[in-house]
Amino acid sequence: MILKLAFNGLKKKQRDYLILFTGLIISIAVFYMFLTMSLNKEFILQNSVINNIQAVFLVGTVMLSIITFFYLFYTNSFLLSLRKKEYGLYELIGAKKFQIRRVFQIETMAITAISLAIGLMLGIILARLVSWLLMNSLNVEFTQFKIVYLPAVFWTMAYFLTASFITSTVHNTRLAKSSIIELLHSDMHNDGIPAEPKGSALQILLGIFFLGIGYSALYFMEQLRFIGLFTAPAATTLGTYLLFTALLPNIVRNWKRNKRANFKGLHSFTSGQLNFRLSSLKWVLATIAMLIALSAGAIAGGFAFKNNAFTSIDEYWQYDATLYNPGAAETAVLNSIPVDEQLTFRMKLDDEFMYLVQEELNASPPLIRDFVTYEVVRPDPLPEKLDIVDGSQIISDQWFTALYAINPALEGTKSTRIVPLEEYELAEGEEISILLARTDDFSAYIGEWQKLDELQLDVYTDLFTGFDPKTDSVATKYSQFKAQYAIASGTFFMGFFLGLAFLTMMASILMFKILSGASNDIRRYDSLRKLGVRRRLLENSIYREILVVFLFPGILGLLHVFVGMRMFTFIMDDPYYRLWVSILIFLAIYGGYYFFAVHLYRKIVLPRQ
Amino acid sequence: MKTILEASNISKTYGKKGTAAYTAIRDLSFSMNEGEFIGIMGPSGSGKTTLLNMVATLDPMTSGEITIDGISVSAMNEDQLSDFRSQNLGFIFQDFNLLENMTVFENIALPLSLRNTKLEKIQAGVHQVSAILGIGDLLEKYPAELSGGQKQRTAIARSLIHEPTLLLADEPTGALDSQNAATLLDTLADLNAERKVSILMVTHDPRSASYCSRLLFIKDGKLDRELFPAGTREEFHQEILAVLGDLDRRPVAGVRI
Repeated sequence: MILKLAFNGLKKKQRDYLILFTGLIISIAVFYMFLTMSLNKEFILQNSVINNIQAVFLVGTVMLSIITFFYLFYTNSFLLSLRKKEYGLYELIGAKKFQIRRVFQIETMAITAISLAIGLMLGIILARLVSWLLMNSLNVEFTQFKIVYLPAVFWTMAYFLTASFITSTVHNTRLAKSSIIELLHSDMHNDGIPAEPKGSALQILLGIFFLGIGYSALYFMEQLRFIGLFTAPAATTLGTYLLFTALLPNIVRNWKRNKRANFKGLHSFTSGQLNFRLSSLKWVLATIAMLIALSAGAIAGGFAFKNNAFTSIDEYWQYDATLYNPGAAETAVLNSIPVDEQLTFRMKLDDEFMYLVQEELNASPPLIRDFVTYEVVRPDPLPEKLDIVDGSQIISDQWFTALYAINPALEGTKSTRIVPLEEYELAEGEEISILLARTDDFSAYIGEWQKLDELQLDVYTDLFTGFDPKTDSVATKYSQFKAQYAIASGTFFMGFFLGLAFLTMMASILMFKILSGASNDIRRYDSLRKLGVRRRLLENSIYREILVVFLFPGILGLLHVFVGMRMFTFIMDDPYYRLWVSILIFLAIYGGYYFFAVHLYRKIVLPRQ
Repeated sequence: MKTILEASNISKTYGKKGTAAYTAIRDLSFSMNEGEFIGIMGPSGSGKTTLLNMVATLDPMTSGEITIDGISVSAMNEDQLSDFRSQNLGFIFQDFNLLENMTVFENIALPLSLRNTKLEKIQAGVHQVSAILGIGDLLEKYPAELSGGQKQRTAIARSLIHEPTLLLADEPTGALDSQNAATLLDTLADLNAERKVSILMVTHDPRSASYCSRLLFIKDGKLDRELFPAGTREEFHQEILAVLGDLDRRPVAGVRI
């Protein structure tokens, strides 16, 4: 009997549950995908490049689980509040409290179970998609990667079932405490009349003030460091809430003050709706503005980070390839691309020292980035006589950097001696030639650099005793790029899907809020219809009203992102890289939700045609 | 005298063909002259609200024709009907149907706003009509802040502001106490007598009906009889009570009591 009641209840509230579902399913799918990416053991062992990505996905899992918990908590309380009357009715006809609690608990768990089934399937597809995209962008093969990974399935189910059990228990307990009368009359509430705003000017000023502080903290994050890291989110959040709660009711009030516009067509009705709606929604809308900032920020951040792999690699490596003893194969590859600059140096190794030719170095000093001025320069010529203190030659910092640029594999392993050509000729030991090559665009010839790195493996094995190409590696621009790019790609996907999950959850909260008021609105739209308002006019009013509700948090949230991306300047070169792509993705999803909300709302309040 | 409403042979059947159909109104005809205050009475389920909804163009009829102010509404599409309602009809409902999210002023102004009337005209109109109804000092309040009587006065003001051909009232005193109901009916009677507003009112309350200039009794979807006031309102009231008693005593079609 109780089971039957529970499933009847589910059926009745299909629409509300559908919205809850979308948020939950996306969250489950992304959660599973993150877990699969970070937990696949075999995948970790086999692939050193992937190692770092997994940490990134683990961070994503943690963040997602926190937000998801709040989402579940909120939606659950909301759904229960919709059903207070039903609860009271069961009590009235003599059902025991524990029985009713069980009904609601079974319902919640059933929803979670259904969402889990769909979400996991979607998650498996997502994992397949993301791993495939990662493989392609990193040019590696994930042979050991399992799309259906049982530990990930288990933990996803465990997390979501536990979370929904906890939230539904908390809410049920709360419901059980209210009196029958209270429960029965719960749907007979009237919207409170928006109070005349008091002290709102001060509140708006304070809001702008705190937003200003938050924004400056974001802007000067590099200088403020830790202070900024705490000030920025705190002040921005506070400013957002202050501004929304004070500004939103005032904006509509101002519209209404323009009587000529207000008393035209249905405008007075639309602004009246908004006046009530924005007053009751201001807290939710402020929260949504923050969530938008987080989700769009996560998408944009991931995107910028991926780009950063290209730009940052050029910061530290002025030469795209460093080739030891290049042979015909290497030369052939180099000849196939436009090389801007090509330098060759000779080096001799004996048991104690590495010898370099002073004349060669002075003749073609390589480009380096000066660590003090941060400019790309060529070191000044070396003095004729280099002092030796404690067994090391004294050279300028710039030359010190230059030696690493010339000889990234061996510099530091032995004491370096820069000697005149005559002395060099006399030195014992095997001679190695090193070729530095530079193009105008490292990212354009990734395939060539990869090929050169592969060709060099044989040289390394010959040159360096004990070098095993399977386990060892030599630092080259390409290998470092590849590692960075792997993390960046991981972060990109993590950011994108985290943003997507946030966005779905946020949009479903907003839709809940709008649609929960819709049943009250049925009467209003019916009155208007009776008074002779054309359907078209009613529809326009709906479009406009919901647009405003969506617009405010959207605008402020995006503004947060525009300012907030600056925060990443101290770890990225260009956080604003192609920001518009992320913004477009965000707008597409957000816009989709807007139209979906309008569609559902219209279906509720307007009679069928 | 000018005829403003002509209903000829109208019928309303609910339910599709083949299924158990229920006929709410059968072959009913009546007409209304300008300046009349007609009451429609009848037992529950007799079809009075159905009749009002058809006149109000809210509910399409199954057959027959309704002409209001010389215009036939039978063949209009949804948009035309909307426009027709907003221009020619005024509504008063039992539960007021005020828009709670708008002030009294905005509620009253709505029919004019919908026609994009100039602001100055709207303001003049609202002040005039609210003064007549004695709610001039409530204009900036929201419906939730008003008493039942004040709400219904607001609804009347809204139904009159665009000077409709016909005012339709569905149990307008249903949600009011007797004091407020009496005041409201006096107002309607005054509007009818002094401003020549034509009113068609559905009611089951004999007291309300005694304010009308003509009563139509409906039973089982058909016009049962007509009644005109003679003598005082109290005498008319007694007469109505007698007719209603008689209607109740007579057997309902096919059923013996």
